[in-house]
Amino acid sequence: MTPLASIASAVLSVTPWRLERRLEVDAKRAALTRIGGAVGAMVVVGILLLLTGRNAFLIFWQALDAIFGRQRGIEGVALRGIPILMTALGVALSLRMKVWNIGSDGQFLMGALAAVGVGIHMDGPGWLVLILMAAAATLAGAAWILVPALARAYWDVNEIITTLLLNFVALQLVTWSALGFWRDKEAAVIQSTREVPFTLPGLPGANSVTIALLVPLAIAAVLWWVFRSTSIGYEIDIIGGNPRAAGFAGIAVRRRILIVMLFTGAIAGLGGMLQLSAPGAQAMNAGFSAQFGLSGFIVAALAGAAFWGVIGGGLFIASMFYAGIVLQTKGLSVYIIFAIYGVILTGIALGEIAARYRVVRRDSADESGTAAGQAASAPQGAGS
Amino acid sequence: MTGDSARPAVETRGISKAFGGVAALDAVDFEVRWSEVHALVGENGAGKTTLCNILAGIYRADAGQVIVDGTERDFRSPAHAIDAGIGMVHQHFRLVEPMTVAENIHLGWPETPGVVSQRTLNERTEQFMGEMGLRVDPTAKIWQLSVGEQQRVEILRVLARGARVLILDEPTAVLTAKEAEDLFAVVRELAAGGLSVIFITHKLREVLAVSDRLTVLRHGIREITRPTEGATASEIARLMTGEERVLNVEHRVVTGDPALELRGVSALNDRGITALHDVDLTVRSGEILGIAGVSGNGQTELAEVICALRGLESGAITVDGADITSMSVRAVTDIGVGHIPEDRIGMGMVLSAPVKDNAVLHSYWTEQFSQGLNLNRQSVIDFAKKLVETARVQTRSVFATAGQLSGGNQQRLVARREALAADRLLVAAHPTRGLDVNAAQEVRSTILDKRDSGCAVLLISDDLDEVLLMSDRIAVIYEGRIMGVFDAADADREHIGLLMGGHSITEAA
Repeated sequence: MTPLASIASAVLSVTPWRLERRLEVDAKRAALTRIGGAVGAMVVVGILLLLTGRNAFLIFWQALDAIFGRQRGIEGVALRGIPILMTALGVALSLRMKVWNIGSDGQFLMGALAAVGVGIHMDGPGWLVLILMAAAATLAGAAWILVPALARAYWDVNEIITTLLLNFVALQLVTWSALGFWRDKEAAVIQSTREVPFTLPGLPGANSVTIALLVPLAIAAVLWWVFRSTSIGYEIDIIGGNPRAAGFAGIAVRRRILIVMLFTGAIAGLGGMLQLSAPGAQAMNAGFSAQFGLSGFIVAALAGAAFWGVIGGGLFIASMFYAGIVLQTKGLSVYIIFAIYGVILTGIALGEIAARYRVVRRDSADESGTAAGQAASAPQGAGS
Repeated sequence: MTGDSARPAVETRGISKAFGGVAALDAVDFEVRWSEVHALVGENGAGKTTLCNILAGIYRADAGQVIVDGTERDFRSPAHAIDAGIGMVHQHFRLVEPMTVAENIHLGWPETPGVVSQRTLNERTEQFMGEMGLRVDPTAKIWQLSVGEQQRVEILRVLARGARVLILDEPTAVLTAKEAEDLFAVVRELAAGGLSVIFITHKLREVLAVSDRLTVLRHGIREITRPTEGATASEIARLMTGEERVLNVEHRVVTGDPALELRGVSALNDRGITALHDVDLTVRSGEILGIAGVSGNGQTELAEVICALRGLESGAITVDGADITSMSVRAVTDIGVGHIPEDRIGMGMVLSAPVKDNAVLHSYWTEQFSQGLNLNRQSVIDFAKKLVETARVQTRSVFATAGQLSGGNQQRLVARREALAADRLLVAAHPTRGLDVNAAQEVRSTILDKRDSGCAVLLISDDLDEVLLMSDRIAVIYEGRIMGVFDAADADREHIGLLMGGHSITEAA
């Protein structure tokens, strides 16, 4: 059971109903229930706004208009989307193997920090420095997950705790660099590192979005292909499904875990470089990552580790955040906006549960939990 | 504290129980007296544990009566059974490892005081242990205890709740010889104190050592109940294994070069205890060597060392003369070794993956499916469809997950897949366990076809009937040692039954 389903099932345990796993997860139904969850959440949000005396219809209109009504809105969503997509893709890759990389925030920060180091210290043609920055960021992201990956692969140390805690270490390193060794001494106002003098080329027709947007799309395409058509993707899915069966099939499980975890870190690290090479964001300070890793994690978990779902879900969350910022400027309190985020994410999560489980009345025969009870419940579920 | 000694402590009349249409117990009459140790004996799947689970309120019988100390009872839960004075110690302990002995004994016990200190708990435990004559350090944490001590805590837990009939389900399976001796003493003492003990086992030596009376179950039917005094190991073995004779399989005597050879192989189990002692075995091309033995005597480890899933402590393994001792799983598979694993679901399949992915689990890297990085989807699907058809696996499509298949279909899929992978050697561990008659026949004929096509087969099974039916030669394993190897023609059921129970050849004669 997923953590979400466990919570739902605990809530239901005081009622006459219970959750029953569907034998089959139908992709179309899964998409419908997720969208249904989001729409249902919007309705709840609308009712709450109406109850507090606000014009819900105007607010929704303002939000949609802010995003889709002008190019600035669409570009704003894309800019916010890039770091979320990169961390989400890394996490989604690890989830295919049932490894929980909670540390993509740290890997993201270390990637950006490495990119700053290269960018402010290297002279040369811009394209070369940018490529070196990307390489350094990729390596730094992988290096930041190296110890958790080794510990998980070879000593079965739980990766959730190790990767999570390294986030805080990364944050302190960034703060130290911004306040100390790479501090920008000319700009006295904001404590930040010096600025990298290079940016990625813009997308044709865009004002602020660079070719960085293409990177997560390309990575999603590659990952999709790997898991559809290669033996590597097959092996990772087998390890995720049943590590003992993977060992039985002669797959070097531990080495695969190590390598895949390094890749998840590398993707998040590259995300840090992409963020840093956008115009106007070329220096690092303590607020460099607005917990992109956390958002990415939510996206990956909700998308069920399907890579195109990650792209769709990441852009959805990015537009939600963008709309939230716009609504703040229109006078909606930040607390209400956070509450709206929460309701919408909960709605999608419930949609996710609905895709995998259905609610049935508990009858006395099944409650004993005996073998007979399990056998009786098996043939159900196909009907719906 | 016990009831009227003239009445039986527990009695069942005509108890029947079926699982999924397969009868586990068929009209069993069973009776345990006060102050006796009653051994419940039978092969795996004979119905011993099922019968005791009914007595302990875990299952409900389909038909028949349970009478406890003269009163008919209908248990709906283990709590009802313990209220009536029946408690069971399971093979797998149900203790909370980070907590102390005293805490475990008091956990969920209605007599535990509402507000209580660690010291009171320890004192109460000390006192109770004194009354029972069973000692474990009450302040020790469970994980610090040996398996034998943990078992003692389990027994104390059950006794604390007022059990007067104590059921021990294969209690010696996890114990060392010394611990087993200690347990026998404890059991004798409890019985001397007026309790009844039902002792489930399939080890003949234990039956003779510990019990006052014994009941033999075979295929869910009670064969006999009699006093242990005067019973012989060979008589019990014969009752346990029956006298069925074999049909329709022609046994051969094969000569020629060995396909598989084990020389002095020793290996550890998962707990680090030696599970295989200096094993020598030879399997020739075109023959089935059956390994007879009660589960847990090293069969799992034997299959795993041959298939490179477990390392050796010493010794060597060759296939067609080539040393495979330090080869990888994949290399061993590539020279044509197939393996129907004992734990089909836990090891042989990925339930969350589609049938097509499971179909190629042991061959996806071969040229047939993989060219470089590319895994050819279409050839995987074609292969899976063919496999499903020939193995007669009932599934909606090869894209359905393996978890949606019924147990029998999962087994057919794995058996056929491994038979196809096995060119030189097929290791089949309990290949028909849990299957109904038809599915079992299909799996058996798959294995026989393999033999007839010149493949060597190592058949491991705890069903002696199956070993005798299928094998051209039979090796008996007991506590990780090969006790003897026989040609099918010379195989004597009673003799093999004795060897399976740990009696050496001289003792048996």
